[in-house]
Amino acid sequence: MRVPTSERVFAYVILIVMAMLVIAPVLAGSITAFKPQIIWVSSPPTWVFEPTLENFEFVFFTRKGWVYLRNSLIISIGSVAVALLLGVPAAYAFARFRFRSSKALMQWLISLRMIPPIVVGLPFYAMFLYLERGLGIGLRDTFPGLIITYQTFLLPLVIWMMRGYFAELPAAMEESAMVEGYTRLGALWRVVLPVVFPGIVATAILNFIFAWNEFFLALILAGNRTSTLPMTAGTYIVRTRVEWGNLFAVNMIIMAPVIVLTIILRRQLVKGLTFGILE
Amino acid sequence: MSTRRGGSLVNIKYMFHSDIADNQGKPFSTRLYQLTQRRRHWFFIAPALIILLLVVIYPIIFSTGVSLFRVTFASQSRPFVGLQNFERMLGNDDFIQSAFNTLYYVVFSVSGSFLLGFAVALLIRRITAGVELLRLILIIPITMAPIVVGLMWNWMLDPLFGLVNWFLGLFGIPGQTMLAHASTARLTVVLVDIWQWYPLVFLIIEAGMATLPRAPFESARLEGVSSWMIFRRLTLPMLRPVILVALLLRTVDAFRTFDIVRVMTDGGPHLTTETLSLYLYRTAFTFSKLSRAAAGSILMLLFIGLISALMFRYLYRDVEMG
Repeated sequence: MRVPTSERVFAYVILIVMAMLVIAPVLAGSITAFKPQIIWVSSPPTWVFEPTLENFEFVFFTRKGWVYLRNSLIISIGSVAVALLLGVPAAYAFARFRFRSSKALMQWLISLRMIPPIVVGLPFYAMFLYLERGLGIGLRDTFPGLIITYQTFLLPLVIWMMRGYFAELPAAMEESAMVEGYTRLGALWRVVLPVVFPGIVATAILNFIFAWNEFFLALILAGNRTSTLPMTAGTYIVRTRVEWGNLFAVNMIIMAPVIVLTIILRRQLVKGLTFGILE
Repeated sequence: MSTRRGGSLVNIKYMFHSDIADNQGKPFSTRLYQLTQRRRHWFFIAPALIILLLVVIYPIIFSTGVSLFRVTFASQSRPFVGLQNFERMLGNDDFIQSAFNTLYYVVFSVSGSFLLGFAVALLIRRITAGVELLRLILIIPITMAPIVVGLMWNWMLDPLFGLVNWFLGLFGIPGQTMLAHASTARLTVVLVDIWQWYPLVFLIIEAGMATLPRAPFESARLEGVSSWMIFRRLTLPMLRPVILVALLLRTVDAFRTFDIVRVMTDGGPHLTTETLSLYLYRTAFTFSKLSRAAAGSILMLLFIGLISALMFRYLYRDVEMG
């Protein structure tokens, strides 16, 4: 496409401004995490200073950040593992077998994306409470409890994304493997899964990001034993005073892994974020 | 391979035959094996389906049940009250106010992020250098936790040392307290929401544009059609399904807004930024009115269900699902 120079210059100017508006707050905030306490709130902002790690040290050890980091990791990795375990076989069936209700079921899975978290979070709290009082099964403030709850948004996404990856493979693949004596499950395990592995990794990463960033369900259902990193970020705001340096140190710990994963994943990202509806 | 469904007599006869005639007199184990072969997809799907019914559908049924009684965390007695909770909710000024605020978020955050995202997608097609870097930068807000975004903008907007006011100060504009005033707080929160989510619209639209065929555009340009007409008559209609997906996703997400508001204003000042999610959260956990919150959440579900069902119908007219 040939573009007139004036139009191109205009596009560059606008896009550079947009990119600056996106990146500037993120960078400026991240820098604050490395500022010593006396210049956290200096005005005009101090840009030149001796970077320090004391905020990270404080957040990580004095405020037990490592515990929350561990909790976040257990919950995110655990819930993604469960979602993959349940979702990958289902996705395979949706991609390979034709059956009467498959289309309706897939549409039903998309419709789950519309449900606001409060609609499931609220009854979950009450259900866990009744389970505890009635049957003595404690799920509130436990890792299994949160991992089960997170399936509400992870499992439909895993099924939709993986169905797309399975559908891209030719059916002849398993058929020839089955002719050679593999069972259907054997062919799936030995022949199909290795080929579709990059898709599994992409699905796992995107779902990890969603679980990692989750705040609402954790706020309702997690307690002292299972607090996640996003939950603790808010504790650095006290009505009278905000510990900005410490807060941004926590923000950095939440953000950094996700940004690294995003850079790895960026080509598959759109597919996942749109729930694969756009295929 | 799977049994193919079809209208042909041969198929029906074959299915009939294999179901009944063949099985006569065969041992139970063989019949069971054949049954599992025909229904094998359920062995793959059932575990996921059971969990989804348990974690999504059962809670909604439970919630509906709770909404018909008067349940609090404090008291043990739970009298049946019928639709009273729904009446109380719909007659509650705060509920109506937060529903109105939520609608405000949906309208302005969705349209704002859509227009901005679409504009950036159109502009990025006009440049050649740095596209990959730009895309990478624009992805960052999407993947940030909404709560981190809210806290970051709290700091940016601080009236004393925030960068926004420092920047405005360079032009001689005095410090603003945008989040503390009823007149500006809601718009400010919406702008932050747009900041986070317009890149998503951009990514979706851009991915959609990449799949458009080139031929109609080239021939239109050769015939001297103006670029505005190409946009109106070719780009927009061909992108319709993509646009609908972007709008649907944004609507659903704006409707559930919680995290950003929770950390930026917590619903204040004077409930001007309170969303439905926040209000129901407070009703249940601060005021311990569980069944009333349940009734409110069912109303919320019905509302978003209606909106997305309408959008879905438009969508399915265009997109044939695999």
